[in-house]
Amino acid sequence: MSRTYAGILASETGAELTQSFRAPEFLLPTLALPVAFYMMFGVLMSRGGAAATYLLATYGIFAVMGPSLFGFGVGVAGERERGWLELKRAAPAPASTFIGAKLVATIAFAAMALMPIYAAAAFMGGVELPRAVWLTLFCVHLSAVFPFMLIGLSIGFSFGTNGAVAIANIVFLSFAVLGGLWFPATFFPGWMVAISNALPSFHMAEIALTVVDAPGDRAAGFHAAVVAGMTVACALLAGWTWSRQR
Amino acid sequence: MMSGMDTQTDPRQLPAVIEAHGMSRHFGDTVALDTVDLHVPAGQICTLLGRNGAGKTTFIRCALGLLPPSSGSVQVLGEPAGSMAARLGTGVMLQDTDLGEALTAREQLALFSSYYTSPADIDTVIEDADIADFADTRYKKLSGGQKRRVQFAVALVGRPRLLFLDEPTTGLDTDARRAVWDNVRRLAARGTSIILTTHYLEEADALADRIVVLAQGRVIADDTAAAIRARTGGAIVRCRTSMTPDRAQVLPGVRAADMHGRLLTLSCEHAPTTLRALLDADPDIDDLEVTKPTLEQAFTALSEATTEDAS
Repeated sequence: MSRTYAGILASETGAELTQSFRAPEFLLPTLALPVAFYMMFGVLMSRGGAAATYLLATYGIFAVMGPSLFGFGVGVAGERERGWLELKRAAPAPASTFIGAKLVATIAFAAMALMPIYAAAAFMGGVELPRAVWLTLFCVHLSAVFPFMLIGLSIGFSFGTNGAVAIANIVFLSFAVLGGLWFPATFFPGWMVAISNALPSFHMAEIALTVVDAPGDRAAGFHAAVVAGMTVACALLAGWTWSRQR
Repeated sequence: MMSGMDTQTDPRQLPAVIEAHGMSRHFGDTVALDTVDLHVPAGQICTLLGRNGAGKTTFIRCALGLLPPSSGSVQVLGEPAGSMAARLGTGVMLQDTDLGEALTAREQLALFSSYYTSPADIDTVIEDADIADFADTRYKKLSGGQKRRVQFAVALVGRPRLLFLDEPTTGLDTDARRAVWDNVRRLAARGTSIILTTHYLEEADALADRIVVLAQGRVIADDTAAAIRARTGGAIVRCRTSMTPDRAQVLPGVRAADMHGRLLTLSCEHAPTTLRALLDADPDIDDLEVTKPTLEQAFTALSEATTEDAS
């Protein structure tokens, strides 16, 4: 097989997915945890369509955050520490296929984490949504890969493996709780709301809530603009941490 | 640019594989490379020999574009170091580098072969690198030596014109080391240029057309193994004697004298001159032995000379 950009991207993505599927310590928490939480709080404890729908929107963001932060954050830190990244830089592999493969693999994992949650919501939680809304919700959930992935990359480029695991966990949990992904942010006291507003997880959740017809005080367009701004900031941060590699 | 490498091509017609001019690299106050000039023509096995910390790995990293030199320049295959054109013609085996832990050797080879324009057949590489026994085992389950051999295979998969091998046989047992040497010779015979670093003199001696000795970031010798050996002078003379080393030191042609018990070791410029004087000075000497200096002795002498210059 001769060298083509698509060929490199395909084999790089294949290698990413193979590696992830062979790492149960990554696979289990990222795929099983979100649906387990949703089953507990969204289906078994809520016993109602409205709460199940609300939590479907927010737990979807939570499910996407796992592979984005851990696949990238911890993954890149380990690859960097073990010299794998350096060997790739010495090999004739374009940097963009390396990042691109991670992106495709992360989106694939995010979709795999979302599917069981959607199934639980539709078949057990009594969530009823038009097809177009399901599809829009799926796209909104998947788009959360971008800001979280860039944050993950920045962590991976800045810390060693152990440090990256710790930082990614702190970010993961605080984004989940303070972003209102586990409990609705509407119950938060004022000082917590101030923190929520600084987190991309909160704004992503607000967009998803608008899609399922449970909007907050502000328009989805406002939250989308904030997320876009944060994503650009995260991209700059990731680029800067990457350039500091040398 | 040149066409593919075939047996008809005379390597000497090709551009130099490495062309470094006044290349230096500092890490803070530490000088890792000090104005290194190196021209490596195509088709050579060139060994960078030096102790740990001599600057070998820094040189390799600069030549791969992983580390920009602080000053000076380096071109690889006629292209700027680290450029895509240079990387496409290069195969790399680095130190302290692990491959994908959860992938098998065959999967790593498939991944790396997709980077190159005309890669080798994967089964052929597996056979050539002699890794068939564990080609389908996940990398993290392999022993240290097996991992090194998989890394070697990965370096070969792109059928590179230039191969960088940074300490390729560290951690290998004798058999595996000889297998790597055989491979290196075979590749060189097919026209592949090879830059190899090692701190094993035996390895440099066994493989290299040319040995570049690095010490404290500088090139202190650049020659064939035989020529480097010859540099320390004519011969080593050993004998048992009652003579004091101070007295032996002043014999004609003696550069250095060393005494252990009654065993005297002389490093001399011209053995016959020294021997004549030695036999006159002490008619009772015993166990007389004259040898050519080993590469080890030559290397030690070279390194010591540099250390003394620097201090």
